[in-house]
Amino acid sequence: MESNKKYWKGLEEYNNTPDFVKNSKNEFAEPLPIEDVLNEAGLSTVTPRRDFLKALGFGLGAVTLAACQTAPVHKSIPYLVKPEEVTPGIPNYYTSSFNGQSILVKTREGRPIKIEPNPNAGEFYRGTDARAQASVLDLYDVSKLKAPVLKNEETTWAKLDSFVKSELAKAQAGGKKIRVVASTVNSPSTNAVLAQFITKYPAAKLVQYDAVSYTGIIQANQNSFGKAVLPKYNFDKADLIVSFGADFLGTWISGEEFTAQYTSNRNYKSLENKKMSRHIQFESGMSLTGTNADTRVPIKLSEEGPALIALYNAITGQSLAGGTLGNNTTADKVIKLVAKELVQNKGKGLVVCGSNDVSTQILVNAINSAIGSYGTTIDLDNPCYLYAGNDAEFNGLVAEMSHGEVGAVLFLSSNPAYDFMNIDAFTKALAKVPAKISFSDRADETASLCDAIAINHNYLESWGDANAYEGYYSIVQPTINPVFNSRQAEESLLVWADAPVKNYYQFVRNNWEAKMLPAIGLKWNDVLEKGVVTVAPKAAGSYSFTQSLAQVATSIISSSKALAKGGDQVELQVYESVPMRDGKNANNAFLQELPDPVSKVTWDNYVALAPKFAEKLKVKEFDVVTVKGSNGHSVDLPVLIQPGQAQGTASIALGYGRTKVGKAGNEVGKNAFPFISFLNGTMQYASNVTITPTGGYYELAQTQTHHSFEGRAVIKEATFKEYLKDASAGNHKGEHKDYDLWDAYEKPGNNWVMAIDLNACTGCGSCIVACNVENNIPVVGRDEVRRRREMHWIRIDRYYSYETKDGDVTKEKEIAKLEDLDHVSVVHQPMLCQHCDHAPCETVCPVLATVHSSDGLNHMAYNRCVGTRYCANNCPYKVRRFNWFNYWNDSRFDNYLNNEFTQLVLNPDVTTRSRGVMEKCSMCIQRIQGGKLQAKLEKRPLKDGDIKMACQEACSANAIIFGDSNDPNSEVSKALRSERIYYVLEEINVKPGIGYMTKIRNTDTTVQA
Amino acid sequence: MRDISMILKSVWKSLFVFSAVTVMAVSTVSAQDAKEGRTLFRAKCSSCHALDAKLVGPALTGVSDRHSEEFLLKWIPNSQGMIAAGNPEAVKLFNENGKVAMTSFPELDEEKVKSILAYIKEGEPKAAVDPSVVKAGGGESGTSGLSIAGIVAIVLVGILILVILGRASKLLERLILQKQGIEIEEDVPLKVGVRKMFKNKKFVMFFILCLVIALGSWGWMGMWNTGVHTGYQPVQPIKFSHELHAGINQIDCQYCHNGAFKSKNATIPSLNVCMNCHKAVQARDNYDGEISPEIKKIYNALGYDPETQQYDKSKEKPMEWVRVHNLPDFAYFNHSQHVVVAEDAIRKAKGLQPTEPVCFACHGPVNTMEEIYQYSPLTMKWCINCHKETDISGQKNNAFYAKVIEAHEKIKKGEKVTPALLGGLECGKCHY
Repeated sequence: MESNKKYWKGLEEYNNTPDFVKNSKNEFAEPLPIEDVLNEAGLSTVTPRRDFLKALGFGLGAVTLAACQTAPVHKSIPYLVKPEEVTPGIPNYYTSSFNGQSILVKTREGRPIKIEPNPNAGEFYRGTDARAQASVLDLYDVSKLKAPVLKNEETTWAKLDSFVKSELAKAQAGGKKIRVVASTVNSPSTNAVLAQFITKYPAAKLVQYDAVSYTGIIQANQNSFGKAVLPKYNFDKADLIVSFGADFLGTWISGEEFTAQYTSNRNYKSLENKKMSRHIQFESGMSLTGTNADTRVPIKLSEEGPALIALYNAITGQSLAGGTLGNNTTADKVIKLVAKELVQNKGKGLVVCGSNDVSTQILVNAINSAIGSYGTTIDLDNPCYLYAGNDAEFNGLVAEMSHGEVGAVLFLSSNPAYDFMNIDAFTKALAKVPAKISFSDRADETASLCDAIAINHNYLESWGDANAYEGYYSIVQPTINPVFNSRQAEESLLVWADAPVKNYYQFVRNNWEAKMLPAIGLKWNDVLEKGVVTVAPKAAGSYSFTQSLAQVATSIISSSKALAKGGDQVELQVYESVPMRDGKNANNAFLQELPDPVSKVTWDNYVALAPKFAEKLKVKEFDVVTVKGSNGHSVDLPVLIQPGQAQGTASIALGYGRTKVGKAGNEVGKNAFPFISFLNGTMQYASNVTITPTGGYYELAQTQTHHSFEGRAVIKEATFKEYLKDASAGNHKGEHKDYDLWDAYEKPGNNWVMAIDLNACTGCGSCIVACNVENNIPVVGRDEVRRRREMHWIRIDRYYSYETKDGDVTKEKEIAKLEDLDHVSVVHQPMLCQHCDHAPCETVCPVLATVHSSDGLNHMAYNRCVGTRYCANNCPYKVRRFNWFNYWNDSRFDNYLNNEFTQLVLNPDVTTRSRGVMEKCSMCIQRIQGGKLQAKLEKRPLKDGDIKMACQEACSANAIIFGDSNDPNSEVSKALRSERIYYVLEEINVKPGIGYMTKIRNTDTTVQA
Repeated sequence: MRDISMILKSVWKSLFVFSAVTVMAVSTVSAQDAKEGRTLFRAKCSSCHALDAKLVGPALTGVSDRHSEEFLLKWIPNSQGMIAAGNPEAVKLFNENGKVAMTSFPELDEEKVKSILAYIKEGEPKAAVDPSVVKAGGGESGTSGLSIAGIVAIVLVGILILVILGRASKLLERLILQKQGIEIEEDVPLKVGVRKMFKNKKFVMFFILCLVIALGSWGWMGMWNTGVHTGYQPVQPIKFSHELHAGINQIDCQYCHNGAFKSKNATIPSLNVCMNCHKAVQARDNYDGEISPEIKKIYNALGYDPETQQYDKSKEKPMEWVRVHNLPDFAYFNHSQHVVVAEDAIRKAKGLQPTEPVCFACHGPVNTMEEIYQYSPLTMKWCINCHKETDISGQKNNAFYAKVIEAHEKIKKGEKVTPALLGGLECGKCHY
């Protein structure tokens, strides 16, 4: 069955603009200046023979002299006293945890160089997200402070301690309040430290403040069920997921964990069991989750409330006022059908909502109660402790500060001078506090306003623990000695509290040995080895919602009406982007260069507008517009045309526009936090703005159309219904004969291949960062990305498509149907070197720098490469990358990795490439060789699963399967036997080594928008 | 009569050559004797004897003058037997030295004893400056330019002597002829001859061709060996002797380089490994009761005070060894793969004795290196040759290889199983 779908990567490709056509013809964005040389003047230029000989002679002499230096002397400096566990050349792994998830830290000669998931971490902590992968770079950040700071001057810890202690004593004695402002603290030991601190200073109190808050859900649960908690969501138990603006695969609560849960019902193993969940997403901006939905319905922000009321009405048969979606008939229709399905799937459905409005979340609770989610897909008895911030409390604190009631304030991993909605009010209030102390590792926006900066360790230098879920405890242990003169915040607090135990390691250990270990019968060292301790979960109880919703509905409708002002008012949504999140890691160059999963923009935020709506506003892509909020805050940002964005809405990512984070992250994009408003006791991420063009133009560094397939069919997809009838639906190969110009390679030993499940891949991009860190891939910066010179070995191609109803359509017709761009569907396709058996790159290399191996890999010998770039020109997959600069040794790239300290993050098993050579995915050959050697040393055959690729290990969705196809029982062999397997551009017969599985969508045509 | 001069010439020539050869042979033989003797002396005698100082036994310099060789040849292998037999010289010696019996060395045959005596006679080679050793900071790589120059000088002197002798014999010949009254035509003057020769186009052509070939091959060899540092022997911060540790004291390579057996790095031992022995071994005997200045360097680096036996962390200073074996960064080499996995194959291929560690295959006879130097060229050609030639069919005992070799043998029946056959020559196996 041939699909009528047309796929495209970006609107310029879709519209086939002249620029796009021109650029896609060339492998490299900038053409060679051949014309300049070959024009008349160029040809008639005379180089006299004498000049030529002079130049030649000088050149020869210079080269000879330059070559006359002696071979450099290399020093070998062994340890004076070698730690017993370190063997140079062999990595050590330590358990630790990042944001509550247990991880493994790979260290080499005492340097942490890579983050891996901890196999003990739990069923759904299978991979790690991009932030965790990139976090190892934060350790080697040169923008950090190197010593504690007192009144803007470097100081010693003794001086800082005496200052802080006297200030705290003063505040305590003066009857003033002491406040510790921290983003959610879920560490039992940190809480114990704070308790000691509060005992010493009874005026002290912890205020939990999250830049992006979940107060709405917590308070709604308090209101509905008397439990002020963030529940545990079980997406794996849900057959039908309905999400209203919750980006649960990306940024909502615990994206990676939800990804693992979600894909467990949608990946190839689940499909083989003829099972697939269904996912319907209602949202305004195109989110990562929206791109993965089976059906995605764009709704305005103001329609979210009414849509939920309509859904509630349709499910329960009640008639709450306001449940009409008059202007959005599609959504209205879909809601009614979804309601039916939810009722049919009682106990197997799940409705989530990204709103932070208490009333909205109460309504969501009511819906979930009506469809029997509690006890199955929602677990209120084993709650999630990742977010516990209270918006009202922090707002109250700002008021207290401005009234002069606060004598001392301490900022622990929080930065309100950047991420509070009203920065002005906050800074003014802060100025009235006599003693301001920050635990930041750098002089960031808040810390630079403080009297003292008690610089904190990076988490890789710290001791600690975390409690992400009820009964799930993970340990944080240091993997390197503190690099700078920093001190762990908890230790500082213990010192200031004159606690009996000031050493934080001892404190954590005492705390565990006293409170946790006896109950679970483990020793401290066992905990360090496993990294995680789980206590048997409580039985998830069933909760039913019994309250009246009349008031809730009124509140929802009034907010909705306030939002839908109409006129020139645009509904603006500020959201967390997958790479940048709340901006705390904005100085991480790996994250800045990670393309946004949907827009593929790097190094900037932007105003996303729907194509039609942009037309209406008379703006084009990359036009700079002024976005002005009702509170008077305005920013100038470029426009990005985003298919799928709801009409009449705009989206801006948070986390950009930092001013004091460091070399890489300063002044990247604009700060959107001030667009947040405070309404009904919580932060609201939707607001009204006006958008006016400034006449400026700013080109975003977007990677989406850089490596185009020029419209060739590289994606195959089918619906679940079709799949059930025929497993190879959408993947029928035409009858054609193959002719090989070359002899087949013999691969007697291993044949390393890969299978990629397009149904599991959500496009989150953690594989890209994992690959960057593993393979020493340079960061090139915004300007170079604009020149299409990003170096990522693996990229995720994002294709938009829509179903045409009448088969073959001409181009004019397609453009005329632009409104269909609201209802685009998206496929993410990881694209990396396909390690073709008949690799076109190999045959054109004049120096045999890229050759085939007997185990099915396409090798790339950097030191043989002379940089002709023929191979990149001849690669049908566009996966080869050229080193235009010596990125590791070039002052132009100082912001990123060009300094000795940051280079400590390099993987010593992989060469850094120099200018003028090609590179590409090596299939982590260092891991293959390492795995083989390990087996040889142990004198055993290689087992399936001994060797894992960096991208595969990071993938929570298990979308990448790697292994030996010569072993018929390997997982990859089994996966490659699937009927869904196809090879990209199979017709050109290059015999790629990576098989893709068709994308299956669980779209019921009756619910299809 | 011209024959006389010819005969004379040839006699001179052969005499010269013969004498040169004998002199060289003799000198190398005795040099070798003394060298072997030195090794033996260090292994067998040095715990009780020194050359110039009295230790447990007497100082040995001049021992050949004090005793006859005949006596020594018997005494050294079986001193106690001689004393028991009542040999007067032996008994006298026994009494003179506080009646401490000397260990008998029956394993030392006549040859070996002679070597030791040769060493004692020659004494410690005075500042045995190997011309290839580079002193300046251990920086540059040494070439054996001086030794080549020496050979050239010898050849030149030889030619000079031959020319002078030839002239002399010609003169004599002429005098004889004159006496006999035979007139001889004057020799063509040499200059004219040379000029005539250079007018001969064939000769010029031949001469230039030779010159081009000589210069070309010299240049080629020179460039070919650029960056090849065989023989590189930099001066190290501590005069550590592998000969003493690995050779005489027979310390296993693994004791210090324990990484070689599990990691890609062989690892230079950290100083705490040195301290395992050198906390006690201070070689005070050789330095008038003082601690050896070289061992002191270890103490200084660690901030160790031998008097109080305390470590002072604040005085620690890392030891900066000069790296001898510099493989480029883009070439991946793993010691454990070769030392552990492929040990048997490498032993067989390089013909190592069972007593020799496998390390010798590439690092050479480390146990005789006073200072370590680079033995193998470490070029890619050198790597590849070994990968092409080494028979690894014996690896079947390793379950990892059993399957792999079996698979390969199916397609390449009968071919020798080498690393190359299993893909060991593919770029990506070492370059990534």
